[in-house]
Amino acid sequence: MNNILKLRTGSVLAAAAVLAAGPAYAAGTPSSTVITNTVFVDYQVGGVSQTQRTAADSFTVDRRINLTVAEVGTVTTNVVPGQTGASTAFTVTNTSNAPLDFVLAAAQLAGGTAAHGGTDVFDVTAFSLFRDVNGDNVYTAGTDTPITFIDELAADASVTILVVGNIPLSATNGQVAGVRLTATAREAGVTGTQGAAITQTVGANTAGVDTVFADTAGVADAARDGAHSDDDDYTVVTAALNVTKTSRVVSDPINNTTNPKMIPGAVVEYCIAIQNTGAAAATNVTIDDSVPGQLTFSTGSILLNGTVTGSTCNADGVAGGTYTAPLVEGTIASIAAGTTRTLVFRATVN
Amino acid sequence: MRLFVTAALAAMTITPAAATQVALTNSVFVERVSTDGNGNRKVVLEEPKMVTPGDRLVFVLNYRNASAKPAEKFVVTNPLPAAVQFAEQDEAAAVVSVDGGKSWGSLAQLRVRTADGAERAAQYGDVTHIRWAFNQPIPAGGTGKLMFRGIVK
Repeated sequence: MNNILKLRTGSVLAAAAVLAAGPAYAAGTPSSTVITNTVFVDYQVGGVSQTQRTAADSFTVDRRINLTVAEVGTVTTNVVPGQTGASTAFTVTNTSNAPLDFVLAAAQLAGGTAAHGGTDVFDVTAFSLFRDVNGDNVYTAGTDTPITFIDELAADASVTILVVGNIPLSATNGQVAGVRLTATAREAGVTGTQGAAITQTVGANTAGVDTVFADTAGVADAARDGAHSDDDDYTVVTAALNVTKTSRVVSDPINNTTNPKMIPGAVVEYCIAIQNTGAAAATNVTIDDSVPGQLTFSTGSILLNGTVTGSTCNADGVAGGTYTAPLVEGTIASIAAGTTRTLVFRATVN
Repeated sequence: MRLFVTAALAAMTITPAAATQVALTNSVFVERVSTDGNGNRKVVLEEPKMVTPGDRLVFVLNYRNASAKPAEKFVVTNPLPAAVQFAEQDEAAAVVSVDGGKSWGSLAQLRVRTADGAERAAQYGDVTHIRWAFNQPIPAGGTGKLMFRGIVK
């Protein structure tokens, strides 16, 4: 039963202004709420007050199913090869006007463009979903709990879901793995039990509680389907080390340091340069070099954490390292991304 | 603004039990606004069967003086349901209350005391009651219609 309302232009504008200034209701009045409007009339007849008259009209608020799945933050999750328990975080928010269960489904992209622009080229292993119990948006083993559905999520409440996986050792710097989380509304009502699927009320409206899907389209689901989805991704950020070894004659017994020649008794300086072309610092970089049998190691000559200028070894750094014939060994605590550090030592030609 | 209700309303009616009585009919409609391909706005009032938060409601009160004498000092008071926010009233003569019916005035006149003791102008969301007070008696057999709009919270 429809009734046509004719509006004057001024009234239409007024109504539009009210709409624009209207409140934003996320969940709003709970479904099944009965709204009763009661009106009271007081009047007199012949100067005598009469009994107050009342009239009431009621209707029931229907159930609007709406939800949002959104990645936490706007950047990729940086991971290193071999990392276990690497997580990406999503929030699932119930913007319906009723409590609901939400069944969760995680998937890995198979190629294509991932959430932050890279191309999906690998999959994580041990792919699983956890509830972020401690609220830190990262997976904490033993604390965050496995989850397949969100149980009894109140209207306007949200839960952080962690998509967790292990990064293969074979992954290389810059590679991307895309993941996707889809949540689908289910009936609530029984704690600890995943509720039944929800269908919209079809056909004519009923005076009782109807169900309307009001969700928007996610990255992999349609609008008004009772589901929502979003993507996130992992990006491998690791160190990539190149090693070059150079040598020069420092002095010889005849020419000393003026145009020295490689003759017995000459001092030779070796420079081992470690260049990090990756995107993450390499730490605890241990360098081993075997001194040739024709040379005698110069005790105390090892310099660590030196620099290069262009391709020239500066032969600087801090004394350190060890020599255990025939091995020279030294550890550099950290080589930042895009930098080169050296190990330098000297030996004498036998 | 005129409302043409062309069909019978499924609404609760208080039937007068005595001769000097006023009959009331209180109805609620959901207002749906659509725009056709030519850009023309079309406003349809529906029965409140499919109602979700954010929907606009039109409350309509029809009154009739069923008695044989004029009804004087005719005052209609409508407390807003808790789940409905006031949007606008149709009658310029109506007054509203933002304090549960203690004081009355036009929305522009009313002030609201905030939690920190300051005062601010009253807004639509503050309205708790709407009232129409008639200066002239309603003659015997006289009828009329009052309406206001709200939004489901």
